[in-house]
Amino acid sequence: MKIPHIRRLALASMATLALVALPIAAQAEKEVKVGVIFDYSGPLAGGGSEAGGVATKIAVDLVNERGGIEGYKINAIYADAQSKPDIAINEAERLLNQEKVDLLLGFYSSAQCVPVAAKVDALKQFMWANICISSAVFKDRNLKYVFRPQVHSDQYGVASVQFVSEVAKEKLDTPLADLRVAIIHEDGPYGSGVASGNDKAAKEKGMKVVLNEGYAATAPDLSSLITKLKRAKPDVILHTGYNPDITLFFRQARELGLRFKMLIGHGAGYAQIDKLIDTFGEDVNHVFNVDPVAAQLLDPATLKPGLGDLTSELVKRYKLAKGVKEVPPHASMGFNHTWIFLNDVLPRAIKQHGGIDPEALRKAALETDIPDGGTIQGYGVKFFPAGHQMAGQNERSTPVVMQYIDGETKIAWPKAIRTVDPVVPLPAASPYAAK
Amino acid sequence: MVFDIYLLEAIINGLLLGGVLALLALGLNLIFGVIDVVWISYAELVMAGMYGVYWLYAFFGVPLVLAALIAIFGVAVLGFLVHYLVISPILGKPPINQLLATGGLLFFLQSFATLLFGVEFRNIGLRLPVIELWDMYFSFARILAFAAALIGMVSLYVFLKRTFMGTAIRAVAQDREIMATMGVNTRQVYLITSAIGGGLAGLAAGLLVLQYDVHPAVGLSFGPITFMICVLGGLGNLLGGFVAAFIMSQFISIGGFYLDLEWGYVIAFVFFIVMMFLRPQGILGRRG
Repeated sequence: MKIPHIRRLALASMATLALVALPIAAQAEKEVKVGVIFDYSGPLAGGGSEAGGVATKIAVDLVNERGGIEGYKINAIYADAQSKPDIAINEAERLLNQEKVDLLLGFYSSAQCVPVAAKVDALKQFMWANICISSAVFKDRNLKYVFRPQVHSDQYGVASVQFVSEVAKEKLDTPLADLRVAIIHEDGPYGSGVASGNDKAAKEKGMKVVLNEGYAATAPDLSSLITKLKRAKPDVILHTGYNPDITLFFRQARELGLRFKMLIGHGAGYAQIDKLIDTFGEDVNHVFNVDPVAAQLLDPATLKPGLGDLTSELVKRYKLAKGVKEVPPHASMGFNHTWIFLNDVLPRAIKQHGGIDPEALRKAALETDIPDGGTIQGYGVKFFPAGHQMAGQNERSTPVVMQYIDGETKIAWPKAIRTVDPVVPLPAASPYAAK
Repeated sequence: MVFDIYLLEAIINGLLLGGVLALLALGLNLIFGVIDVVWISYAELVMAGMYGVYWLYAFFGVPLVLAALIAIFGVAVLGFLVHYLVISPILGKPPINQLLATGGLLFFLQSFATLLFGVEFRNIGLRLPVIELWDMYFSFARILAFAAALIGMVSLYVFLKRTFMGTAIRAVAQDREIMATMGVNTRQVYLITSAIGGGLAGLAAGLLVLQYDVHPAVGLSFGPITFMICVLGGLGNLLGGFVAAFIMSQFISIGGFYLDLEWGYVIAFVFFIVMMFLRPQGILGRRG
């Protein structure tokens, strides 16, 4: 069949137009494909992983709204690890091999971070870990393509013990050698990592570690652990856990009459103070939590100009997206660390190292040098170089110790930035207060 | 030997945990015993019931007991529907197909709950009184669950032995082909059994919601161990499941008391595996 003349002409001109227009369109839509992995379902989702994911998206959207980075739009592809390490590994492979993403970003669970980081590094692909904290991700692994601005678990373990040692004498009237410390933790890399940091630091300080025990985060019962805690009579409990296990612990501890003078949590479930108050009301008053600080708690005057506004924007958008009153620290971590990558590492990779391939990103990351006060969470960013025991880990990140007092989060340690004189021991009104 | 009050507390708390597990095993066992189908998604029905109680009580202000009764009825309807929509079309198919179908239902219910309620942990915010006896402490919610398990077990027994419907259910459980040829409407028996099984899941939900947060993945904490208890006791054997629940809970509790908590579970599972070699039909199961 003959195509009529006019139609042929029209087709030809359309084809020409398409040929000319395509490269222009492609140029206008230069993009960085970012594979983002968090847990949007399963038990970790409510423990802060979803919050990290939502805040990461806010950072990506904000960058795109401001015109992208050096002519590149950020095309984030969000994947759900379903709170399972094997799914996280599969999704990482899918994003890299099928979606052909330029890098992977995100990760809440250390149990996912450890295997995925090793795998991605072996493939010589680039990974930026936002939230997972286990020191084991980097320690002695000599990773080259994996970077993490986040605090690591050894620091958590040390921070709480340092804080305890500072208040023990003054507030508990107990010499360190007589201080009874119990360490309990979920048994994944996250809990075990923090707990080993606790154990080492407490023994170095000469404290008595009366119990150090792990349990599965999905365990339906913790009553024998609590009975043992009662028998061990600790002054201080150092606890690392996710969400369902922490609420189970508090509930069963109350029902079984466990008493202590102070309790310090280490992130994850303890960071979700809204949830804990919903569940336990005043019972969780005066509990401590170690974590990188939630950005909105810092005084913007101590930070680089403009960061206060950035935090306000995060808080506004997060509250809108989730319909909540409190913005958890995980939102700050998800947002801040994504923001650092997009606004510090990425432009340098494009401008000075010729693009967005893993090699360019790696070089740009190694040159990161943000001083303290240069991020919305206060700490600076500089990565330990290749060859260092912790190569790829941020050497400037620090956690703080917070105390929840009457529904508000206060900074209790380090002393230099504290916003409250910590309440220790637990006041008699608490059902957990030692009698 | 010095009397150890902490050990006694661990043993009694183990008994109370056993009550919770026995209650969970009851409905699953009944369904398997009669219909010969394992509802792998049983714990997810409990999850649905827990959401029901949560919304009714915490959100709509329905009194707790009434909310629990509505949940029992609601999950009974859900159990009826599970049989009607999922099981009944594949009743004559190989067991693996049925297992996969209820496995699919598990993921469906989990995802559906995630969509509907989000991933947040919710709880009814009720703090029950603490029970203290001779320096030992016990959970009020657990004691309630323990009592409910006992009452549930006895009522189910009476129902099966003393009522016409119960007799029909037992008859079908013994030989479903013959009963069909004798004019018994097996389909009706299956539907009623599924509804009772669902109702028991609803009862468990009403009690678990007092002790645990509700979230879409809450079934993960109970599903596997409930299934193991049913197998250990002899799938389909109500009394066997009841006994097995207490055996497992004592391993967990006393094992966890003397060793690390995790070891309690390890010992319980090793015992389970050994028993599967020695008595594959379960502690009180029929050989067959």
